Amino acid sequence: MSSGSAILHTAVLTRRSVRGRLRQPAALTPSFVFPLFFAALGSASFSRIADRPDFAAIAPSFLNYAVAGAIVQGVLFASTSAAGDLATDIEQGFFERLLASPVTRTSILLGRLGSAMVVAVVQVTIFLAIFLAFGARIETGVIGFIGLVVAGALLALAMSGLMSGLAIKSGSPEVVQGAFPMVFALMFLSSAFFPRQYMTGWYQDVATWNPMSHVVEGMQGFMNQPLNVDQFLRAWLIPLGIALAAIAFGLRSLNKRLAAL
Amino acid sequence: MLPGPCRMAPSTFVTERLSRLARPGQEFVECNIVTTSPSAPIVATGLVRHFGSGDSLVRAVDGVDLQVEAGEIFGFLGPNGAGKSTTVRVLTTLLKPSAGSATVAGFDVATQADKVRRAIGVALQDAAIDPLMTGRELLDLQSVLYGIPKSVATKRGPELLERVGLTAAADRRVGTYSGGMRRRLDLALSLVHEPSVLFLDEPTTGLDPMSRLTLWEEVRRLNREGTTVLLTTQYLEEADQLADRIAIIDHGKIVRQGVPRDLKAQVGSPTLFIDVDGEHVDMARGILERFGDLRPTSEGKLGVGLAQGAEAVASVIRTLDEAGVHVRHLELNEPSLDDVFAEATGYRLEGADQ
Ligand SMILES: Nc1ncnc2c1ncn2[C@@H]1O[C@H](COP(=O)(O)OP(=O)(O)OP(=O)(O)O)[C@@H](O)[C@H]1O
Ligand SMILES: [Mg+2]
Repeated sequence: MSSGSAILHTAVLTRRSVRGRLRQPAALTPSFVFPLFFAALGSASFSRIADRPDFAAIAPSFLNYAVAGAIVQGVLFASTSAAGDLATDIEQGFFERLLASPVTRTSILLGRLGSAMVVAVVQVTIFLAIFLAFGARIETGVIGFIGLVVAGALLALAMSGLMSGLAIKSGSPEVVQGAFPMVFALMFLSSAFFPRQYMTGWYQDVATWNPMSHVVEGMQGFMNQPLNVDQFLRAWLIPLGIALAAIAFGLRSLNKRLAAL
Repeated sequence: MLPGPCRMAPSTFVTERLSRLARPGQEFVECNIVTTSPSAPIVATGLVRHFGSGDSLVRAVDGVDLQVEAGEIFGFLGPNGAGKSTTVRVLTTLLKPSAGSATVAGFDVATQADKVRRAIGVALQDAAIDPLMTGRELLDLQSVLYGIPKSVATKRGPELLERVGLTAAADRRVGTYSGGMRRRLDLALSLVHEPSVLFLDEPTTGLDPMSRLTLWEEVRRLNREGTTVLLTTQYLEEADQLADRIAIIDHGKIVRQGVPRDLKAQVGSPTLFIDVDGEHVDMARGILERFGDLRPTSEGKLGVGLAQGAEAVASVIRTLDEAGVHVRHLELNEPSLDDVFAEATGYRLEGADQ
């Protein structure tokens, strides 16, 4: 199989998946609405922490602080849902239809991941536009904007990779959706919604160990701090590392499923 | 496609080898290698596919030998769970054989799967079509996956849609299509790369009689244009009407194979079905037995193959009447595929009075 056709197949399957996402507004809308809703709720109820004198070192405003958490939440949510579509393909037989064609096998997986990334780029852009309209500002300017968009795309790659691996393994959309609460828990045990500096005891320990905290803090860096290489390391490299492991997991699941035919 | 002479090569090779092995005066032993020509578009030899293991082992396909010749419509007939889809899945590279081998379009399904896929068209029984995409989008996708140049695809796509009568619905999402429309789209999708061999798994199940006839017509047309077709069906009539040759499969084994006319002729005698009151069943059965072999029937009926042909009906009735057996219903059927099936399996596929 030539790499040319692999790229072409991935591209057309990405386009198909993106269309599929856009044509299921009921599945896509929550990943846009909920994070923004939580951010609005947070601004209303937690904004008192922004009155603490040391908060200025974290972010200029609670709104600015909330951006990264909202992006991470939205991207993880949408990427899980994208992987759910892959499980639906397997359950309903479209997957088998693809297998009957000379499609490059890996493109079936990569097309899904591609669509999650495309959606994430759009999503991060929309989120930032909304936050900026409500008065948030990106301290690192255009570079930070790009930093956040790329971070969102990499996070989408990592999350959709993990969940697609699960989708291929299980062939069940329910299993994929059922795994999401775990991701949500991971988010609550990170600095996505509450600054790590203000946590205490085991909560702070867990959050410090949680890679999600570092991704979020890298992204918060783009929003709230002067440009710094550390921001790229945390917001890009961590998701990228997870993404590579996730793709390996996804490909292994795919090969296993194909070998078991 | 491989050119003819190249595909003939193994056969010549094998024959030569065998003739060298044979000593003067020795006769050839009939064997599979010699009788199955590798040039046939579909050849299966001792094909086996199991599922599960131990106590839950299912022998879905249990030693199938098949040969479909170029230009044929081959009907694969069998009841639910007989192993039709499993056979098709193995032949179309979607399942690996547990044992045995098969070549399709000259390529081995296990070791040359990708070549097989490029040569064949497949419409699976239960592979859903993505309901969120339109017919046209699916055709475009399929064209790219089969490596068809865009210039060709933009011409062929609309042609295919026209051909299956979906031009008007081409830009609607498949989710809004009726069952018949989906089947027709499915057929169009399987044709984008102009395959030489077409597999249709129960293409007409669930279709109304009108749609079924339309699909038959389309299959015949494709066949006239040179496509070899293997189609599975649960309908005797479909196999009878559409197929040049059929194989009857039951419990994973092929129990009859041949031209429908010949198979029916082998059954020979017509079948007389009668319906009698419950208390007379045993007596009636005894009488019928004098006129020929009893044949399987659907529930509550008796059937006999009239050894003396249709003329014997009068004497059967007379004898039953003299014995005081009241015949409620009577039917004489010329040998049908139903009889072929019944004779081969011991039960009837559809109601005997079908
Ligand atoms: N993936 C599978 N795992 C386990 N058993 C299977 C699997 N696929 C098929 N079978 C079993 O193999 C047997 C043959 O099934 P198959 O689908 O080939 O029958 P069929 O002739 O196509 O029937 P139908 O007319 O209902 O489509 C059945 O007993 C079925 O339950
Ligand atoms: Mg079937």
